[in-house]
Amino acid sequence: MGLDLLFKIAGVGILVSVFHTALKQAGKEDMAHLCTLAGFTIVLFWVVQLLGRLFSTVQDVFKLF
Amino acid sequence: MDIIQIVGLGFVVTLLIMILKRERPEIAVQLSLVLVTIIFLLVLSKIGVVLNLFRDLAEKANISYTYLNTILKIIGIAYITEFGAQVCRDAGEGAIAGKIEFAGKVFIMVLAIPIIALVLDTIVRLIP
Repeated sequence: MGLDLLFKIAGVGILVSVFHTALKQAGKEDMAHLCTLAGFTIVLFWVVQLLGRLFSTVQDVFKLF
Repeated sequence: MDIIQIVGLGFVVTLLIMILKRERPEIAVQLSLVLVTIIFLLVLSKIGVVLNLFRDLAEKANISYTYLNTILKIIGIAYITEFGAQVCRDAGEGAIAGKIEFAGKVFIMVLAIPIIALVLDTIVRLIP
């Protein structure tokens, strides 16, 4: 179902932390922060979609209108 | 055997969160949010079956549909509120979690008003 999403998010997290460290070592602080922000935004996009699905399912099941 | 899947998933994601928490706490929070959402989605499809049974029973017992719907709405609000509050509390924002719970309580109280009014009405009618 949405199980691949979990591993995608964990992968993005690990990748972003590696990029952050590498860019910091290279002395590009602002680029490192931009990279963190980009990873966070991508993950937030997926999370919001999943949350929307959850809320519409709850509304369907419990007849919350 | 869905429960074994869920428990295994919980273990795996807990380990992933432990890896991520030190470096990127915000992505760790999102990871736990996604896990909670997926478990909720898995469980909700099961709850639907039980609710259909309740609807059938209510129809057989001639209970008005509005009361059952009110109860279902209250359960739904409680579920969503609990979900939101727990996620916020896990992320260390106890104050926001408290406010979410407060809002849920208020909405539940508003939904319960017609039933309370009916009970009071019945009691008043019983007393001569």
